[in-house]
Amino acid sequence: MVFLTAAETKAFISIDVWTCLFMLGNLLVLYWLMKKFLFKPVRAMIEERQKEIDDLYADANQSKEAAAELKEQYETRLAEANEEKEEILRNAYRKAQLREEEILREAQDKAAQTMRRADEQIELEKKRAMNEIKDDVSGMAIEIASAVLARDIKQKEHRNLIDSFIENLGESHD
Amino acid sequence: MNINTSGPKILWEFELFGLTVTITETIISGGIVFLLLAVASYFLGKDLKKRPGGRQVLVEKVVSMLYNMVGDTMGKHNLKFAPYIGTLFCSSLIGSLIGMTGFLRSTTADLSTTLTWALVTSALVWYHNIKNNGFLGWLKGFTEPIVVMTPMNIVSEVAQPIALAFRHFGNVAGGGVLMSMVYSALAGASALLLKWIPNALLNSIPFLQLGIPAVLSLYFDLFSGFIQALVFCMLTMVYVGEACPPPAEQENKDVSKK
Repeated sequence: MVFLTAAETKAFISIDVWTCLFMLGNLLVLYWLMKKFLFKPVRAMIEERQKEIDDLYADANQSKEAAAELKEQYETRLAEANEEKEEILRNAYRKAQLREEEILREAQDKAAQTMRRADEQIELEKKRAMNEIKDDVSGMAIEIASAVLARDIKQKEHRNLIDSFIENLGESHD
Repeated sequence: MNINTSGPKILWEFELFGLTVTITETIISGGIVFLLLAVASYFLGKDLKKRPGGRQVLVEKVVSMLYNMVGDTMGKHNLKFAPYIGTLFCSSLIGSLIGMTGFLRSTTADLSTTLTWALVTSALVWYHNIKNNGFLGWLKGFTEPIVVMTPMNIVSEVAQPIALAFRHFGNVAGGGVLMSMVYSALAGASALLLKWIPNALLNSIPFLQLGIPAVLSLYFDLFSGFIQALVFCMLTMVYVGEACPPPAEQENKDVSKK
């Protein structure tokens, strides 16, 4: 290595091959370095973040749609349940009404039956009482007549006579 | 008056395997820019988290902006060029701004640097043209729209990298020259204003150099460096983007040209 000259200047407008080569090498190596250490990683990071944000938004949209769908489902179900409830109520009301009518009818029937039976009983009692009175009266009449007449009257014959008399009497009194 | 219009200083020159290797200021600055960007991209690109902190938010914002710009200018199918455009932009911007340190020369104030970058752009354009149209198709492209245009087309193809290189170089180097002219002018003006002071030390203070150059430097170094980096990258994107049409358009490209 021999120093030939020092502190000499090149012309203002000049081209130096060594400078050219050195600057070319600088530029190419710098290009490689900056691409490797700066541009590529920064760019990759930006893209990665963008992708993550896009994914997040897509997820959020999906969740929102799912929630809306669920809400719609619940609302439909709720409406269905309401309708069902009303149907049940209507049915119960109708059944209750039918039952009420039935009970009323039964009660009326029972009452009517009881009345009829009571009437029959009364009629029977009346007849028996009449018969008893008739017997008593005919007995008394015979006794009175036998006492009055003091003669032997064929008891059976008289009794028939009196009975028919009372019968006639009773009929005219009814 | 001392106006610095020289090129980069040659710091060392030595023989290596029979070749004379020259180390200039530009190479030193270039190496420092390289190290700065390599270390910065390593620290900015490590420990990336899904929930970013302040540093990562900023880095992601800038990288997204870069990809959006490349996508808008070159089309979504050409996003693979974004890292190269980003590297080129950072190299150009830091290469221009490093001149503001005062003791390092801007790498972009050397035509060698900008020409190298411009030739890389042209190489990309040619490579993709040949890849898409075939070698003969690429040559045939020079005769369009009519055969008479062929010399013009060749000239414009050659002029493209040269124009690209000189635009960037001229703006940065010209800004530097202008700044040193402003400094000299302000020194002269200061000396003129302080001539009445009898003290030789006091009247040599270039007080006008304080403050005024800072405002100009803001434009010539900071703004111009940023704009030139943007312009260089924009033009690279346009040229390369033209050579790489969207896959669907490639088939009816010939039809639409007629």
